[in-house]
Amino acid sequence: MKALQIERSLARFAAARVSAHPSPLRLSEIDPPDLPADGWEIVRPRLSGICGSDLATVTGRSSRWFEPIVSFPFVPGHEVVADRADGSRVVVEPVLHCRIRGVEQLCRACTAGRTNHCERLVAGHLTPGLQTGYCKDTGGGWSLALAAHPDQLHVVPDGWTDEAAVMIEPTACAVHAALAPPVGSDLTAVVIGAGTIGLATIASVARLRTDVSTLIAVAKHPDQRRLAQSFGAHFVVEPGEVRRAVRRATGSWVLDQGQLTGGADIVWDCVGSADSIAEALAVVAPGGTIILAGMPGHVGIDLTALWQREIRLVGAYAYGPEPAGGGRHSFELAIDVVGAADLGQLVTAAYPLDRYADAIAHAAHAGRRGATKVVFDLRHEKRR
Amino acid sequence: MPRPGFVLEVDRSTPPILTWHGESFRLERLPAERSRVIYAPEPMEALEDPDEAVRQALLNPLGDAKPLPDLLFPGMRLTIAFDDISLPLPPMRRPDNRQRVMEAVLDMAATAGVDDVVLICALALHRRMTEAELRHAIGDRVYDAFAPSGRLLQHDAEDPDGLVHLGTTDQGEDVEINRRAAESDLLVYVNINLVAMDGGHKSVATGLASYRSLRHHHNVRTMRHSRSFMDQDHSELHSSNWRMGRLIAASGVKVFQIETTLNNDAFPEQMAFLQKREWEWSARDRAGYLATAKSLSVTPPRLARSIFQSIKAPHRMTSVHAGEVEAVHKVTTEMVYRQQLVPVEGQTDIAVFGLPHLCPYNVNSIMNPILVMCMGLGYLFNLYRGKPVVRQGGVAILSHPTPWAFHPVHHPSYIDFFEEVLADTIDPIEIEKTYEARFANDEWYRHLYRTSHAYHGVHPFYMWYWGAHALEHLGRVIIVGGEPKAVRRLGFSPATTLTDALEMASDVVGRDATITHLHCPPIMIADVS
Amino acid sequence: MSGTDFPGSHEPKRRLPVTPDSARDLAASARARLRPPSSFPLAPPTWPGTIPRPPVERTLGVDYDSDWARSPAARVGRAVVQDVIAAPVVRVLASPTVRGLDRIAHLNEPVIFAANHFSHLDAPLLVSVIPERWRRELFVAGAADYFFDTRIKAATFAFLLNAIPIERQRVSIQSARRVSEMLEDGWSMLIFPEGGRSPDGWGQPHRAGAAWMAMRTERPIIPVHVEGTRRILAKGSSKFRPGRTQVTFGRPLKPAADSDPRQMAVELEAAIAALADEIENDWYTARRRAAAGTTPSLSGPDGPGWRRTWALGDPDAEARRRRRHEKWPWRS
Repeated sequence: MKALQIERSLARFAAARVSAHPSPLRLSEIDPPDLPADGWEIVRPRLSGICGSDLATVTGRSSRWFEPIVSFPFVPGHEVVADRADGSRVVVEPVLHCRIRGVEQLCRACTAGRTNHCERLVAGHLTPGLQTGYCKDTGGGWSLALAAHPDQLHVVPDGWTDEAAVMIEPTACAVHAALAPPVGSDLTAVVIGAGTIGLATIASVARLRTDVSTLIAVAKHPDQRRLAQSFGAHFVVEPGEVRRAVRRATGSWVLDQGQLTGGADIVWDCVGSADSIAEALAVVAPGGTIILAGMPGHVGIDLTALWQREIRLVGAYAYGPEPAGGGRHSFELAIDVVGAADLGQLVTAAYPLDRYADAIAHAAHAGRRGATKVVFDLRHEKRR
Repeated sequence: MPRPGFVLEVDRSTPPILTWHGESFRLERLPAERSRVIYAPEPMEALEDPDEAVRQALLNPLGDAKPLPDLLFPGMRLTIAFDDISLPLPPMRRPDNRQRVMEAVLDMAATAGVDDVVLICALALHRRMTEAELRHAIGDRVYDAFAPSGRLLQHDAEDPDGLVHLGTTDQGEDVEINRRAAESDLLVYVNINLVAMDGGHKSVATGLASYRSLRHHHNVRTMRHSRSFMDQDHSELHSSNWRMGRLIAASGVKVFQIETTLNNDAFPEQMAFLQKREWEWSARDRAGYLATAKSLSVTPPRLARSIFQSIKAPHRMTSVHAGEVEAVHKVTTEMVYRQQLVPVEGQTDIAVFGLPHLCPYNVNSIMNPILVMCMGLGYLFNLYRGKPVVRQGGVAILSHPTPWAFHPVHHPSYIDFFEEVLADTIDPIEIEKTYEARFANDEWYRHLYRTSHAYHGVHPFYMWYWGAHALEHLGRVIIVGGEPKAVRRLGFSPATTLTDALEMASDVVGRDATITHLHCPPIMIADVS
Repeated sequence: MSGTDFPGSHEPKRRLPVTPDSARDLAASARARLRPPSSFPLAPPTWPGTIPRPPVERTLGVDYDSDWARSPAARVGRAVVQDVIAAPVVRVLASPTVRGLDRIAHLNEPVIFAANHFSHLDAPLLVSVIPERWRRELFVAGAADYFFDTRIKAATFAFLLNAIPIERQRVSIQSARRVSEMLEDGWSMLIFPEGGRSPDGWGQPHRAGAAWMAMRTERPIIPVHVEGTRRILAKGSSKFRPGRTQVTFGRPLKPAADSDPRQMAVELEAAIAALADEIENDWYTARRRAAAGTTPSLSGPDGPGWRRTWALGDPDAEARRRRRHEKWPWRS
């Protein structure tokens, strides 16, 4: 079958870092994955999204942190809507935790239900891999077939488009991020970044966080601004205007270095660059929370403010049961959000696997080119 | 003998007309047979010995006031308030009128043996002046005599201890002014009456007032009923100030008003072409224009700004009167009208305003987009008596580069107004209702206004209200040569050239629309019949 | 420098390469070298004792005719020397701070500048700071007996400063007529009404000449106060010591038709004293004291010389003490 595959090749990763071409990625004919154990099944992807972490991987910018928890060669793609053998449509929850791996003695995290914190990502009957799409044995979404454990599959509601369904996985991440900071009242919050995660976070906060009374979104491109507004941001500002917008909303003062005396109670950083984290630190209130919803990688930042103002810098990864969401699973909540905010409209470009270089380039400059989510469309690929 | 103002009917042989464009100017050819240009009267003769004229005015006051020396006595509290950086425009060469008058007043106070003298810059909600600006306005001698001992103050409209509430007018307007001024044995107010709006009861009732008091006349309703605020008899802004002024007088504050007028000689010799009629330009004027326009076209904007801001006008004092407020102001207004009034017959469909580099609120600063609006639709539009030069539903064409640029120290709340308020709405009523209170009470703006050199948080709102009458009156506003993004944020239409703008205007007022170009500066008032 | 080495025993070393003394020596030696051979016909003939000499026409002192110094060529030359050489030198030497020009900004007519007088530097200093509209048509009233006693001195001062000889001991009809003619012709005058430089740093009584001249020609008198020149070049000193000076122009005094020149001289003296008070304290204090008649006098206390010197103080002393301790390269 046709698949995009990544092999462990230092030369290719190095080449990708200096050129625009996604060199580590190769389109090849491979066999569909073997089922790792009883009960597993083959599902056939229909749409498969390109995520920010995928981009980091194929451009060689991914952190070496992931090396022990991936297994080469792997097929990327973890934002997947797929057909089951019985013809029903499912979305894949990609985390490969204890139960999926067949680890009999569940780790502490999995016992508690926090599967995204699983401590056995290298154990069990699977090769190491944190998610489907990073594991040699399961295959991934950027191909015509992958192996999935039934626990990983969530049924797509009837009448949904594939575009809406493919947004469920990224939205589940956003829901998880949105519900991470403690609940308060009459909060001022900022979402930095208006890519897929940023917009999905805005939609999630608007729907799930009734305690946020003022939501400021930071968006660079006109389409992003329009969408942010329609998803429920109260103020949408350009990157250079964030501090002033937060100052206005919170009545803070500005000190000589440009830092605010007060600030927003919560900042969701959906970019994950050194600049965006620095900006988040500049606008968060003392004692406030910064959620890193975008994958940051290696960044250099000044943490003086974090110390002096007791700011909590918190990561938000994947999904699970949400205590703040009434104990419902992130995926369930995400289905609500996607449906309510019509997040399917964020899927703005679809490519066949053959044009993967174009697809990657498009995804890398999505905002500038008026796009949000770029996906591979596998519905028209020849299946043999 | 200076010639009076003049309206030129444009024909085919009319040369292109000089049109201001921020820190530069252009020559624009107006369509023949349907355009006219209003020229200001030439500068009036100045007083030969201004110092002596000031002394005589103080000794021979108008109205029921006693000569100043009779009002001064040892042991008294004397407060002298004076106009701030917004007057005159451009700033005049030294010595400024304020310096001449204050020295004369202080000379008499010294003769009378007065010790407790305080000088107050009556800046209302404007920014505090810098030391250099104060020295320029009141002179080094006065500055050095009073500033070091803390007896030169700048009015603080947000100082709870420094204000006193004198009562409310019969219309329910709060009158709250500077405590030191109100509690002095004599308050002398030193004015520069650049335009007919300045002076009178507005000096004290506005210049020394608090926000609480100012909002009664600085609002959309008042500005829409001031037609125009250059004509006191038809200006709600002035009616309100007059009510307050009378209440101030009735509550025992003794005001000795001094008003001075200037001729409209606004530009130095080497830029004389700016205030000449184009067909009278000499070879030297033409060379001056070419050299200036050429060099400005290659000058970086920042440099051009600082060059233009350094212009000091050769304004000269044309009259000075002192005494009781209303009596003084009547004579002064006549003098202002004598210098500025131009009879104009009827309205036209389109008004063309070339905006200069300067308005009252960007001296030594940047003319930001909100000030462009205020200068065009607030000031130039309102330079009329009777009717606006442009008809109801007509089009105003402004010429200004309108950069998206703000002075971060002087205009902090303007940036927020532009980024937040105008992004939402440009309707003055809506703006007033939804946003004014929050900006007016913002702690940070208050702090900057009181301690730095920032305009008050509410000031950009007033700029917008200043143009409220024009916004309601006009069918469309077009800015020639403006930065499109900024122009659109203002709710106006950007055009590249005047020809394009006239083409766009024809959508609103038809193809044979009549055009009036206000050749300003120098300042004039169109007396439209 | 030899001998004992206790603080204050050394003259400060900061000194210009040329002093008035050395210049005088240089001129004398040049003259000696250029003296013509002494025998007739190369030298002028001697006068036979048997023939009575005709009366010599007096051409020096108050009779010196300086009209040539106002010829177009001389004026151009003077403008060049004043602006290109004198003004920069004065600026370096005296670093003047000029105040009060705004008080005379509106004047365009010829005027009389009347200043207090400490030093030979006063005239060049004032000429360099007086606004251009007067500087080009300005003459300086110079003491006939001091500046016009030799032909070379007379010509030099006439050329450099456009000086005109004035009798300072008595009223001379001739000099008065010449001065008033020039004032009426549109020239402005710089005069030192004290009639000479201060011998001890305190002012001397004013003479009525300036006021009298103003009344006669109806020109306004502008009081000018000069401060600091004495420390740079005092009377009797031959060393220039660069320093700071302050020049303050006062409000013009207009002569009324019926005023008394002596009264006006008193007013002028008071005006200059008030200007001194103004820079010493502040303007309003000076006005208060002027109004109350308590402006400190410029003529100093009565009594023996040392008391006057003591009362004068020396504001530069502290600066000089400090300067002595400055290290290379500030001081070699």
